[in-house]
Amino acid sequence: MSDRYNFSLTTFSPAGKLGQIEHALQAVSQGVTSVGIRANNGVVIATEKKSATPLIDDTTIEKVSLICDNVGLVYSGMGPDARVLVNKARKEAQKYKRVYGENPPAMVLVREIANIMQEYTQSGGVRPFGVSLLVAGFDERGPSLYQVDPSGTYFAWKASAIGKNMINAKTFLEKRFNDELELEDAVHTAILTLKEGFEGEMTENNIEIGVIGGGDVAVQREAGTAVQFHRLSPVEVKDYLANIA
Amino acid sequence: MSSKLAGGFSFDNHVRNAALQQKGLTLPKAVKTGTTIAGVIFKDGIVLGADTRATEGPIVADKNCEKIHYLAPNMYCCGAGTAADTEFTTALIASQLELHRLTTGRESRAVTAMTMLKQMLFKYQGHIGAALVLGGYDCTGPQLFTIYPHGSTDKLPYVTMGSGSLAAMAVFEAGWKRDMERQEAIDLVRAAIESGIFNDLGSGSNVDICVIEKGKHEMLRNYARPNERGQKERSYRFARGTTDVLQTSVRSLVTVVEGDQMDTSS
Amino acid sequence: MVGKNCVAIASDKRLGMQAMTISTEFPKVFPATERTYYGLAGLATDVQTMSELLRFKVNMYKMREERTIQPKTFAHMLSSTLYERRFGPYFTEPVVAGLDDKNRPFICAMDLIGCINFAKDFVVCGTASPNLYGMCESLWEPDLEPEDLFETISQALISAVDRDALSGWGAVVHVITPERVVTRTLKTRQAVCLC
Repeated sequence: MSDRYNFSLTTFSPAGKLGQIEHALQAVSQGVTSVGIRANNGVVIATEKKSATPLIDDTTIEKVSLICDNVGLVYSGMGPDARVLVNKARKEAQKYKRVYGENPPAMVLVREIANIMQEYTQSGGVRPFGVSLLVAGFDERGPSLYQVDPSGTYFAWKASAIGKNMINAKTFLEKRFNDELELEDAVHTAILTLKEGFEGEMTENNIEIGVIGGGDVAVQREAGTAVQFHRLSPVEVKDYLANIA
Repeated sequence: MSSKLAGGFSFDNHVRNAALQQKGLTLPKAVKTGTTIAGVIFKDGIVLGADTRATEGPIVADKNCEKIHYLAPNMYCCGAGTAADTEFTTALIASQLELHRLTTGRESRAVTAMTMLKQMLFKYQGHIGAALVLGGYDCTGPQLFTIYPHGSTDKLPYVTMGSGSLAAMAVFEAGWKRDMERQEAIDLVRAAIESGIFNDLGSGSNVDICVIEKGKHEMLRNYARPNERGQKERSYRFARGTTDVLQTSVRSLVTVVEGDQMDTSS
Repeated sequence: MVGKNCVAIASDKRLGMQAMTISTEFPKVFPATERTYYGLAGLATDVQTMSELLRFKVNMYKMREERTIQPKTFAHMLSSTLYERRFGPYFTEPVVAGLDDKNRPFICAMDLIGCINFAKDFVVCGTASPNLYGMCESLWEPDLEPEDLFETISQALISAVDRDALSGWGAVVHVITPERVVTRTLKTRQAVCLC
């Protein structure tokens, strides 16, 4: 009988829970781990890029996505759901740009994404997104890192992790994080965090890293929204890995 | 929040405005760009050129406006006609091209932009008064198009548009050669635009040039300034207290002293 | 009009139906934020509708983004609002003047469908605009101090308004500096027409 509260996702159980949202979170926690760290001069987001079989051409997989110049995101959970969200987020960013003639602040874009995800917990004929997102942004207020969950909840974090190994990763980050962290160190910390629960050998082809910011903080702030988010190329990732080993 | 997408126009005031017009209300004029715009293909790329005058009827509304609009990093577009239309049409297409680039992960092609523009302009049956010269360098090489307000397009090695197009074309017809050098092409476009500036009353002020080559572009804003205003010899500054003031009110603004960043660590 | 670390915006106060004067205290310049003001010339009903709509949009922006809108951003928002009604426009021609967060002066004008005219010196609009162009073109000079800017913009406006039958009945001048906004009312030709 307890199943009857899972039939419609818009029905609360007597315990005050929406079963489908909990299940969506479960789907996220089965996804591969992603981490994000906000340094004092930028943000890094990173994830594993594990393919089920070596026959898949992993050069075509992109899990870190650029939304607009100053915002990028990474997901844990269901790939196809994330793709839909990325497309919607990009459209929202363009919509903002067409009205105000400038890039949206990270906070505004995150809220738009969170609103979309919330809508899918309350509409008929749909299911919640099976993804959590880590959104990295840089605007006039400096670097910021947000986590967005299937329920539409969002928070700004100094460092966070989502996916399979999130508990261990977060414990690791709590120990490693400090406010003086610079972007270069943050990238190293992010890689080390991923390494914690990594199965097999970590190479430039099975992790993916996105960064925004770096360099002089004052200059970055002056530049404001002109700071560009970008994915690190395998060569760049390889350099970071070499420094760690 | 009202969203502004392609075709997201609001016609709410249309009936009212038609009624007002019938009652004899004279409408404020929209800003037009009388304009001379031109483009040529040269050996390694494209040179686009434009004058910088915007007009409101017989009045010069802007002496140094920008008519070369961004479409993509490898593509720029000169606009003639109703200024707001050229501005917003190119901004809209630039936005769509950026989305397209993000989803495909490839550089935008000039034909793509040209097709999107012509389909949009045709849809509006000429009511969007944008006449464009589109230049870009993509995987198929240098590309040059003209797009008319009704949605027809041309693909030619040298083109002109706007009220000064005849003056500019005369220069092209006389001086154009196949496979010109970069500087040769810039000089030719400059001469064409200047011909528009001096011979067409709808065009004026300065020459803007944009050179697009493989993997790079260069915007030469005010490349030539043939209409520099002479230095004022005397100042018309009034002595303080010249103007009779009836009433004064002051709104003091609190100046916030830049302090340390708020502590959010706890 | 732009001065040294300051901007000024001015308008007359007359509301008329062609030659008949309806009101002599009709506000046409409004504050968008503390340091951004805008003026609307054109059809009175649209001036009021637009000013209310913009008040709504500026307040929404402030709540949504937890920051004050910058003059340039405000201008873009206003411009896209106007262009949305490209085929059924509000008959208003706006002028925006303000200081941004780094106290840099910003001014611009728009036509009724939102084509922005960014200028470094001065912008004008309304029935007296041909007169104003002439006045400003000769009177304006760079780097005027707030007090001098006031005299220049006032004299330009007064002279232009005096030769425009449809303007008049006093004027309002706002001078915006990083520290304060000084609003002064002026006396101009107080008659419908001299003819």
